[in-house]
Amino acid sequence: MALFTRAPKAEPILGQNRLVAHLLSFLTWIIGLMFFFPLFWLTVNGFKEESVASADPTLRFEPTLDRFSEVTEANSGLLSFAEAFGNSFWIVLISTAFVMVLAIPAAYALSIRPMKKWRDVLFFFISTKFLPIVGIIMPVWIIARDLELLGTRTVLVVLYTAMNLPLAVWMLRSFFAEVPKELIEAAQIDGCSLIGQIRQVLLPIVAPGVAATALLCVIFAWNEFFFAVQLNPTGASTIPVWVNSQQKFQGQFIASLSAASVLATLPVVIAGWVAQKRMIRGLAMGAIK
Amino acid sequence: MSNAVVDREVDSKKESRANEIKRLERREGWKRRLPILPALLFTIVVTQIPFLFTLFYSLTDWRIDKLEPRQFIGIDNYTSLTEESEKFFREAAWVSVQMTVMAVLFSLIVGTMLAILLDRKFFGQGFIRTLLITPFLVMPVVAGLMWKTQMLNFNFGIINWILNGLGQESVEFATRYPMGSVIVVLVWQWSPFMMLIVLAGLQGQDPSVLEAARVDGASTFGIFRQITFPQLRPFLELGTLLGAIYLIQVYDHIEVIVGGQPGANNLPFYIAQRSIGGGNRFGLASTYSIIVVIASIIIANIGLRVLSNLLEDDS
Amino acid sequence: MAEVRYEKASRIYGFGGVGAVRAVNELDLNIADGELLVLVGPSGSGKSTALRMLAGLETVNEGSIFIDDVDVTLKPPQDRDIAMVFQNYALYPSMTVGENMGFALKQAKVPKAERRAQVEEAARILDLEPYLDRKPKNLSGGQRQRVAMGRAIVRSPQVFLMDEPLSNLDAKLRVQTRTELADLQARLGTTMVYVTHDQVEAMTMGHRVAVLDHGELQQVDTPRRLYSSPANLFVAGFIGSPAMNLIETDRTGDELHFGSTVVPLSDDVQADLKASASTRFVVGVRPEHLIQTPDGAPCGATVVEELGSDAFVHASMPHNGTEATVVVRVDGETAITRGDNLTIAIGGPVHIFDAESGVRLGKPVT
Ligand SMILES: Nc1ncnc2c1ncn2[C@@H]1O[C@H](COP(=O)(O)OP(=O)(O)O)[C@@H](O)[C@H]1O
Ligand SMILES: [Mg+2]
Repeated sequence: MALFTRAPKAEPILGQNRLVAHLLSFLTWIIGLMFFFPLFWLTVNGFKEESVASADPTLRFEPTLDRFSEVTEANSGLLSFAEAFGNSFWIVLISTAFVMVLAIPAAYALSIRPMKKWRDVLFFFISTKFLPIVGIIMPVWIIARDLELLGTRTVLVVLYTAMNLPLAVWMLRSFFAEVPKELIEAAQIDGCSLIGQIRQVLLPIVAPGVAATALLCVIFAWNEFFFAVQLNPTGASTIPVWVNSQQKFQGQFIASLSAASVLATLPVVIAGWVAQKRMIRGLAMGAIK
Repeated sequence: MSNAVVDREVDSKKESRANEIKRLERREGWKRRLPILPALLFTIVVTQIPFLFTLFYSLTDWRIDKLEPRQFIGIDNYTSLTEESEKFFREAAWVSVQMTVMAVLFSLIVGTMLAILLDRKFFGQGFIRTLLITPFLVMPVVAGLMWKTQMLNFNFGIINWILNGLGQESVEFATRYPMGSVIVVLVWQWSPFMMLIVLAGLQGQDPSVLEAARVDGASTFGIFRQITFPQLRPFLELGTLLGAIYLIQVYDHIEVIVGGQPGANNLPFYIAQRSIGGGNRFGLASTYSIIVVIASIIIANIGLRVLSNLLEDDS
Repeated sequence: MAEVRYEKASRIYGFGGVGAVRAVNELDLNIADGELLVLVGPSGSGKSTALRMLAGLETVNEGSIFIDDVDVTLKPPQDRDIAMVFQNYALYPSMTVGENMGFALKQAKVPKAERRAQVEEAARILDLEPYLDRKPKNLSGGQRQRVAMGRAIVRSPQVFLMDEPLSNLDAKLRVQTRTELADLQARLGTTMVYVTHDQVEAMTMGHRVAVLDHGELQQVDTPRRLYSSPANLFVAGFIGSPAMNLIETDRTGDELHFGSTVVPLSDDVQADLKASASTRFVVGVRPEHLIQTPDGAPCGATVVEELGSDAFVHASMPHNGTEATVVVRVDGETAITRGDNLTIAIGGPVHIFDAESGVRLGKPVT
């Protein structure tokens, strides 16, 4: 069941006493379940009839897949699930590919064969994350409008690439920094070109870190709403916009909204579960190493 | 050949060699810089240059719905911020400050507690950890909608159902406590993130130091305060920093949960509303944006410094 | 196979700026064809830097380096026909042992069959045949070390460069491997530059040993001559275990004292001493060159280290107004214990150094 079971290396802070230890374990279970409860409830509601979902909370009901088929049906005139999914898929895939193509060489230049003043450059990348999106949204909107890119996927690909690039550079650098520099030197002596050094020596070692980084970029891009709703009101809307549009202003909609939410969240949640450990290591170590 | 001539020849040889070395070093420098240039150029073009535009807009009275040409008006937009007409801006600014500080603080506290609880061996540890990190992975729009319609809702919300069960009246959370509602959702999403960072710190501790302290007879609390806490400091700082960077920009939750009701509109929401969201006041809204940028740079700097001093005094 | 020549080669970190560090300063060194030269020195003395300059991994800021009379100073590593073994071995973790060893040949576009034959030949020499398909992480420390060696010899380079290749092995394996390594080098007859901080390793392996300190070459010589005729105070203290006794003393006229005795000086040392304006000198004498004799300098034993075949007595000797500690080698079955009094005198070669400059007085012993 457990996705990873590495026991903590250091002795735990709490729970030297046996009884206390059991109580703490119990407490942790309760808190864990409570944290997860809203998502559990969301999922349960997705399998209900609208009338059941809008009545007093209950777990006794006839599960049905009707809501899932309803929300995924194409509704003429409105944004359909298939369209939104397709848009999200391509935008996320292409922007993440761009991020990796830009960030891998950049991280190489910040760690393996560091350029002069690499610290300043790394700091510059991180500091762009301090620039609130509202600090650039208006010119971006104007430029997109003038280039007739409002409502296209292109504008979101560009913006998501920019949004994730600093994070990717930061994480990849920390993974690359763990590679002994002698490996690259050995490859150099063995007569390997720069590209060869990256492809044949570096990438096989850091592949898990690269994958975790890419996955984090996928998660952030998939979940992004602000740009999507501001720059893309109709043309190429993504999944978050679609979910938001499932909110109706009359009639009962909780069950169908829940079903839509489950569909929108599941891919990313599963991806996150699989890569949780490595993702956080990259994030945390980036700062500390 | 005289000695002087020989010397000169040797000198010129030395010089050409020195030049050669310099040339090679310069080339090496560029070789090292080359891989980073695409990423650097892209980042500058997409983030820095638009920012300069924003700076320029903020010095104009530009409204895109009017056909009048935009006029350069100097710092008039900035001076107007203190006037009565801009009280909504000041309100939004205050909301931003409160919301960011509280969300960061509470997620940090909750996250640290969760991390300490999780940093023990117990049945189902990995499973519970997986459950705990899930809120962070959930799409903010979904988190907002879910809390609004199923947890906090006046009619169908679980929380009100529990309150009723306890004999209490239902509460219309989203209208009565708009900011509180948003913060609850933010803390629910960000505590897991803080937890993971703190957990990385706890598990990176040197076990022999802890054992030595225990052998020396230190109490559990003493060990935490004097050994664990100082070691966690960089991780707590990192959590605060990353959390603040993201939380100061929160937009999705506000749009979804309170959607423009007074009381919980932060700056990003207000700015979008006043400009591309239909307000069309690009000049003025750009001024707001510049204020946000300046504030977030200051907050990031001060916040980190204050925090590290605070922790230093404590230990 | 080739000879190697450093000509006033320097590596300067922060070149041209303030606080520039000369990690290696004007190194002049000739390494003969087929020679095993050991670079030895304490940590931070610039050994690795000197080796890496030869490999092309560090810029040579001043001076030049030649391999077989070809100036390679400005050439990149791959054009120097060298092979290097790193302290951490730097094996490519994603490749098998065989792929690791064949990697350089693959880069050089050697045909597959030929490559394979060469890898197998090297594996045979190093007893690695059963492991060719394993990944490095599934090997023991000693096996990994041999793979690193294998990667170097497969290429039959002009020069082998080794940077502390044995320091990650346990003590016993290290001793065994160093003999094998020296033997291998002798069989292949390839020039080798070997870096270590361990003077025992240096003395047992090197045809000649170059001693470095603070980026400066102190002395290059055969192990025997390094031991018997250290060129300066640093080499005297660094080479030999236990270390040479180095006792500082003020001159009294043209005499130097060792405890209560007068140091016997040869004519050339005497002449240098007369000519010198210095007042403080260091008397160096190896533990095995101190003898017990009734008219020697009195001292008291503080520690006795029994090694079986012989024993080392640490003794406290009144000298120059204070107490100096000397180490004396005595027979293994000695009756001396802590607290005993003994009288010692110099009964063999003695080395005199200027305390200020560290320079040796007199001619080198031949
Ligand atoms: N990248 C560097 N920048 C500045 N100084 C360095 C650098 N690398 C090494 N040094 C300095 O050069 C000196 C020699 O280092 P090294 O050759 O590694 O010594 P050794 O191998 O003998 O232990 C040391 O004093 C070290 O501090
Ligand atoms: Mg070294």
